[in-house]
Amino acid sequence: MKIALHIPCYINELNPEIAKKTLLILRHFNLDIKVPKEQTCCGQPFINSGHPTTLPNQFNELFKSFDYIVSPSSSCVSTIRAQNLEVSKKTFELVEFLHDILKVKNIAKNYPKKIALHNSCHSLRHLFEGSPSELNIPYFNKIKEVLGCEVAEASRDECCGFGGVFSIKEGFISYVMGRNKLDDLLSKNPDVITGVDFSCLMHLESIAKKDKDNIEIKHISEILWECLDETL
Amino acid sequence: MKHYELAVKFYKTQGPRHDRALWTIRQKRDKAIKEVDEWEELRKKASKIKDEVINYLQDYVNEFIRNAKNQGIEVYFAKDADEHNRIVLNLLKEINAKKVVKSKSMLTEECGLNEYLEKKGIEVIDTDLGERIVQLRKEKPSHIVLPAIHTTKEEVAEILGETNTDPTYLTHKMRKLLRNEFLSADAGVSGANFLVADKGWAVVCTNEGNADLGAVLPKLHIISVGIEKIVPNMRDLGIFLRMLARNATGQKITTYTSIFGHKKNGKRVIVLVDNGRFEKLNTEFKETLKCIRCSACLTTCPVFRRSGGHAYRYVIPGPIGSLLAPLVDKEEYSDLPFACTLCNSCEMVCPVKIPFSKQLVKMREYVTKENFAFKLAEKSMHSPLLFKLFSTILRLTPTPLLKKAIKEWSKYKILPKIPPKRFIS
Repeated sequence: MKIALHIPCYINELNPEIAKKTLLILRHFNLDIKVPKEQTCCGQPFINSGHPTTLPNQFNELFKSFDYIVSPSSSCVSTIRAQNLEVSKKTFELVEFLHDILKVKNIAKNYPKKIALHNSCHSLRHLFEGSPSELNIPYFNKIKEVLGCEVAEASRDECCGFGGVFSIKEGFISYVMGRNKLDDLLSKNPDVITGVDFSCLMHLESIAKKDKDNIEIKHISEILWECLDETL
Repeated sequence: MKHYELAVKFYKTQGPRHDRALWTIRQKRDKAIKEVDEWEELRKKASKIKDEVINYLQDYVNEFIRNAKNQGIEVYFAKDADEHNRIVLNLLKEINAKKVVKSKSMLTEECGLNEYLEKKGIEVIDTDLGERIVQLRKEKPSHIVLPAIHTTKEEVAEILGETNTDPTYLTHKMRKLLRNEFLSADAGVSGANFLVADKGWAVVCTNEGNADLGAVLPKLHIISVGIEKIVPNMRDLGIFLRMLARNATGQKITTYTSIFGHKKNGKRVIVLVDNGRFEKLNTEFKETLKCIRCSACLTTCPVFRRSGGHAYRYVIPGPIGSLLAPLVDKEEYSDLPFACTLCNSCEMVCPVKIPFSKQLVKMREYVTKENFAFKLAEKSMHSPLLFKLFSTILRLTPTPLLKKAIKEWSKYKILPKIPPKRFIS
């Protein structure tokens, strides 16, 4: 099984630790992982701000020879899935890959901290890693299954207000939505807030810092690696 | 003013209450649709039916007109809003009408019928409770099913000159006032939720029975309706009637669901309106014609709930409005497809499965002018070397766009720290 790691450009720039942890998690399962150095961007920032781009085609060319492409970001994966390319069906979000392909569960069974999970929109309503409350389908949540410990979810499974270009164009409403999401998650008394999208988490953390909320916010890969790392 | 400015203004006075009220309706809707085991199947069927209707729209329009005429309904076809308004005016002039009772119709809002008739000296009384409230406040509806959701009971009491703010009391007061209007009106105007092609019937769904009074009491009843409201037959209608009210407000069915054919005590006229609909069939946005105006996408939209409908400035606000308005005026409404986080909740609730996220992204492209900075950035992404150079430049020198981004972030958030080392360096 030939696997390529896609590193979202914003993670490479703003939180390279997530990329490292993702690689370590996949290596833990004895997989042959390549990190193509020529990768740049999936095209999402251009597409979502109304500028046509051929970046998804470039992504396709770079990654199509692999069996699977794993990316620690559901929004980048959604962008690629939405394009109908050769790689579209082979590109997976990290937790989705662990759940659907490797069929691993309960990694964080003995995690000592209480987790509150932010189900990001791309994870929930684009990739269906969980059941959106809008649909009449049985409840499921792949992220909770992979974690396998007690995980609280927000009362409302609505957007946190990041939305990429939205957070710049409508800073105030973006903030209000993020504030509401934080309050919702904090009402579950968690020790740590997590999720599969660093973009949402970065937005929530920026608000938590400004408003002086005392809460730890971590990407899911950091929690998973904490549980898998045998050197700890 | 654009959406982001109006949204701030609205949120600071009404936002939290508006958000809570609409979220409560969203929850009622969730409960109601979960009572229907085959809900997701119904959505697939409804979507297919609507695809069929818009793909053969001309045929269905012809079939409807033929069958409606056969049973004695007068039918007109208006190619745009002006023609629609002129037809309605002429029909009213024929009977020398002075006063019209209107029940809710987003189409007449689209055509600006109220203002047009009032200029010609005809009094128009909106009879839906919420519509009447906004009419008395000299406003436009802020939501297509809950037109006065942006107002408080205190504000309603004020326009009725009352000090008692009890909603039941105020509703009874309004009811009494409206009864007199129904009895003294010369004509009734309503919209229609559905047109049944093989019967030539119009279906009107309300919770207050006001459309029925307007249809039955005056001698003349005019139905103004967009051509996309056609369903092929009664069997298909059943699917939509099961979905409409559940999806809109969480009711099993609207309190009044009336099917109108020939009017026995007078004249019934149907004005079918195109107003750009046929033209839309040839665009990438033709799927918006599937919309049945259930309003679920407005109610669920996390931005709409916090910004209020008036921030969209168009007759139909919210996600569906953001797909309709820019085609009416590209400049004026260019901000609307961006008043959205692409959270996809609208697509999840849509009973006819309009692919909202794809359409909103397309609409963003439609309203966006070519931008040199973006073009340059896109070019640089095609070479790993230039990409690195570009992101290093980004790290060092804030461009105007970045400055704006940083400004918006810093206002409400702490900027994230940029670590010195990349993963792929």
